[in-house]
Amino acid sequence: MSDSALVVEQNYEQLKNLALQKHGEIKEKPYVLVGTATCGRAAGALGVLDTFRNEIDNRQLDVNIIEVGCMGHCYAEPMVIIYKPGFPPLCYGSVDEGKAARLVTDFLIEDDPCFEFAMAALEPNDLFPTFGDYPRGVYEQKVILADCGLIDPENIDDYLACGGYGALAKALAMKPEEVIAEIKDAQLRGRGGAGFPTGIKWETCHDTPGPLKYVICNADEGDPGAFMDRALLESNPHQVLEGLVISACAVGASQGYLYVRAEYPLAITRLHTALEQARAKGLLGESILGSSFSFDIEIFKGSGAFVCGEETALIASIEGHAGIPTHRPPFPAVSGLRGKPTLIDNVKTLSYIPHIVQKGADWFKSIGTPNSPGTAVFALAGKVVGTGLVEVPMGTTLRTLIYDVGDGIKDGKTFKAVQIGGPSGGCLPESALDISIDFDSLREAGAMMGSGGIVVLNEDDCMVEVARFFLEFVQNESCGKCTFCRLGTKQMLDILTDITKGHGRPGDIELLLDLAEDIKTGSLCGLGKTAPNPVLTTINFFRHEYEAHINEGRCPALMCKDLITFHISAEKCSKLCDACVGSCPVEAVYTRPDMLKAIHLDKCVKCDNCLTTCRTLYDAVIKKSPPAAEEGVS
Amino acid sequence: MSRKVTITIDDRQLTVPEGEKLLWAALDNGLYIPHLCGFRESERPAAGCRLCFVEVEGHPNPVTACTEPAVEGMVVMTRSPRVDRLVRTAFELIISNHRLDCANCAKNGDCELQRIAKARKLKLKLTRLRQLVKETPVDDSPQSFSYDASRCVLCGRCVWVDHNKAKVGAIGFIRRGISRKVSTFGEVCLTDSRCTQCGECVKVCPVGALTFKEAADK
Amino acid sequence: MGLMEGELEIIRAEVEAVLEKYDLDREKLIPILQGVQVKLGYLPKEAMRQIAEALKVPEVDVYGVGTFYNQFRMNPPGKHQFKVCMGTACHMTGGRIIMESFERRLSISEGETTPDREFSLERVACVGCCALAPVVVVDETVEAKVRPTRVDGILLGFGLERAAPEKTAPDEGIDQGEEGREQ
Repeated sequence: MSDSALVVEQNYEQLKNLALQKHGEIKEKPYVLVGTATCGRAAGALGVLDTFRNEIDNRQLDVNIIEVGCMGHCYAEPMVIIYKPGFPPLCYGSVDEGKAARLVTDFLIEDDPCFEFAMAALEPNDLFPTFGDYPRGVYEQKVILADCGLIDPENIDDYLACGGYGALAKALAMKPEEVIAEIKDAQLRGRGGAGFPTGIKWETCHDTPGPLKYVICNADEGDPGAFMDRALLESNPHQVLEGLVISACAVGASQGYLYVRAEYPLAITRLHTALEQARAKGLLGESILGSSFSFDIEIFKGSGAFVCGEETALIASIEGHAGIPTHRPPFPAVSGLRGKPTLIDNVKTLSYIPHIVQKGADWFKSIGTPNSPGTAVFALAGKVVGTGLVEVPMGTTLRTLIYDVGDGIKDGKTFKAVQIGGPSGGCLPESALDISIDFDSLREAGAMMGSGGIVVLNEDDCMVEVARFFLEFVQNESCGKCTFCRLGTKQMLDILTDITKGHGRPGDIELLLDLAEDIKTGSLCGLGKTAPNPVLTTINFFRHEYEAHINEGRCPALMCKDLITFHISAEKCSKLCDACVGSCPVEAVYTRPDMLKAIHLDKCVKCDNCLTTCRTLYDAVIKKSPPAAEEGVS
Repeated sequence: MSRKVTITIDDRQLTVPEGEKLLWAALDNGLYIPHLCGFRESERPAAGCRLCFVEVEGHPNPVTACTEPAVEGMVVMTRSPRVDRLVRTAFELIISNHRLDCANCAKNGDCELQRIAKARKLKLKLTRLRQLVKETPVDDSPQSFSYDASRCVLCGRCVWVDHNKAKVGAIGFIRRGISRKVSTFGEVCLTDSRCTQCGECVKVCPVGALTFKEAADK
Repeated sequence: MGLMEGELEIIRAEVEAVLEKYDLDREKLIPILQGVQVKLGYLPKEAMRQIAEALKVPEVDVYGVGTFYNQFRMNPPGKHQFKVCMGTACHMTGGRIIMESFERRLSISEGETTPDREFSLERVACVGCCALAPVVVVDETVEAKVRPTRVDGILLGFGLERAAPEKTAPDEGIDQGEEGREQ
């Protein structure tokens, strides 16, 4: 081993031992982890955190409270984990102030672990099942999410104690070519959406001569239904940083950027903290870990433009311009930021890097499928029970993902479709549920891996409206530079809007298909090229819904507002209840002389309030499509 | 200076500088390829109008001629069913957002859109698409010319000469998506902006968006 | 929209303070605009002109960047901001209905500010809380699983605040023309 490699190893071991020592001290007494990522906060985690603090302070208990990120079980937020010597670490879901107070009095003071609110234990034990005993745990295989929600994102020692930055120390002792060879051999494909082989991109950037090179972490997660990157940045920022430093070391870059959406303020705060701590430990800056490699990272806040997820637009944005894509080639790996070779990788892609460097390409390839090795991280949302972040091996079927990992469809409804890949992806029906999730199978099915957003749709979701929604999104986010995206998607959007309003015309479906094909081939950048996918897949699999709108003025899912009317079923309505009347914001619901309720259609704004209110009472409010006349007093 | 290469465009053998973009190689040799946003002086092609598609042997899909460098032995076709289809759609999309009133346009007879229509036998009339033009007032404030945003095709030539040739910095692209347009700081009329009324931008406008007033009087 | 007395001086000073923190380089344009908006809540034309001069770029280019990105506002926002998430999950679980509830209750449209500058209503593409859809960001707080009745609840909270005695008379209605809309 060379002298410099020895120095790196010694420096790293020193950091790690110090971290382990601190970690050991924490473990000696009970401690509480509260998930305070954005999703946890939305569900009330900060109130829970305060309760724990106050209760523990008031009782002068010797208990540490640590804020952590997200474990991925968003359906059960806010989540709390309690470590108490003598008990297995236990995870509690849907914790509110009341439960928090009970956990302090009953568990931390007494020895009753309140199994009635516990979700699972984190380690096998004789008392309580672990996550691995549930279907979600059986099918999940966590690599980059493994530490999320368990380690303190604001304390670098937690990451170091789990072996963090070990891959960096290892990479610094390797030749850049060896690191790149490992990534290439692992066949890691970019998790930002397109699935381009990461190793080849690294090699191109490495092989392009130049004294100055840049690496950029693309954390401009803009897919409206995806939050994996946010969760990773909020829960385990050092994993991404380590990946970025390794990539810089491999391609020979001296400056790095984290391009983060401004909509993610907590992620930005936690990244700032992480950067400062990494600098203080000599993991960033001049001669990292005592090696000859110097590198630093700057955070660049995006300003709200989905198109900036596109590499060339992202670069334009850092350079101080509007985020408008340019023609490729030249690819950024050859000529990117300030005309210099620039490597751009997504948050998830970079998060895999430390694991691959540590455990090797063969380990990575043992997970997933031959053409798409590794795991896939999805943000599971919509009409599914187990919403949240999941990580499964590539090759898992959509059915397993939705029914086993996600625990099926909410409220006993019927599955209709799964939207995968956001605005660039597509909607797949029941018949496609057995295809395996990997880059190539999804593309063949007309969808796309995209960035990993999965929205489950049920019988109440109109597929024309879904397609319209995505086109509206693309229209709002189009940079406006190229004809096909600026005007083509506008034409498509206008057609779809007309269809959802009942103004569809014969031939509209064919025109949509024609335009879609030309936009796919003719657009300048990936945003435009993939924009028609949601329309193409919905026409392909749900053409009958389009036809019902156009030919019959009927929305089969009873969703399109212009094609439905609200009514109250006289058979079901109770004369004694007037909950619906009170729920109406516009006084459209009234009591008839016979005490049954009815709706003035001319006043009704179709807000759904009465229907939601009545559903649990008499379920008397119904929707009709095509619109029906008001039922008069009989 | 630079090396020459031999390429074939529409069965004609041409000797052109290596790396020259196909669009200029073709135009210099009398072969017309429709284009709006491409112009030689700009160092990086905008590739925004999507009209200059050609087929290049070995490429799976049509490519834009303004971005494709000439390489020895390259075989190029300016027409093919696929190219024609893309050009037709791009053209229809552009005119769906361009105020088509040729009879009352100062550029009638000297308009790039008319030239494209003629060359590719396309109609200057909307058949399958919707009219998207929003009525916007014409900026008549400069002495010698006027700006009609509803006729602008967003080629960006005027912005380029304003910034790089006239070096004024009065006009630029603002907003995005369907709202993207060429305008001034704060969207005021030209005379309230930094515009010096040098007229350079008017000279490069390929359509009737920026027109000299005497031309209109003719 | 005219500025109020003394406003120009405040703008000048705030912009100057932000400019001091950065190299005067075109590349710093976006961070500078972000910094100014944090201070002033929006990007007044006077501020953009001052930035353009400092960075030696055409003022129309600063305006072009300011109007390109969603985050930048060209008009002052309300004292309280409601951002309705319009991501996929929120849309499919009734985000539109929530937006309409706000529009109806505040009598303004998406992208507008109430004439008294108390509230502004915006849409956001996705705040990454899809599992808790539909969500609304009220000032800085994320509200999960919002129903139209919750909209009433949120506004009631502010309604009490608005009824406080120190409340001054509403300003004159502000121009909410095309440029007030953030698209």
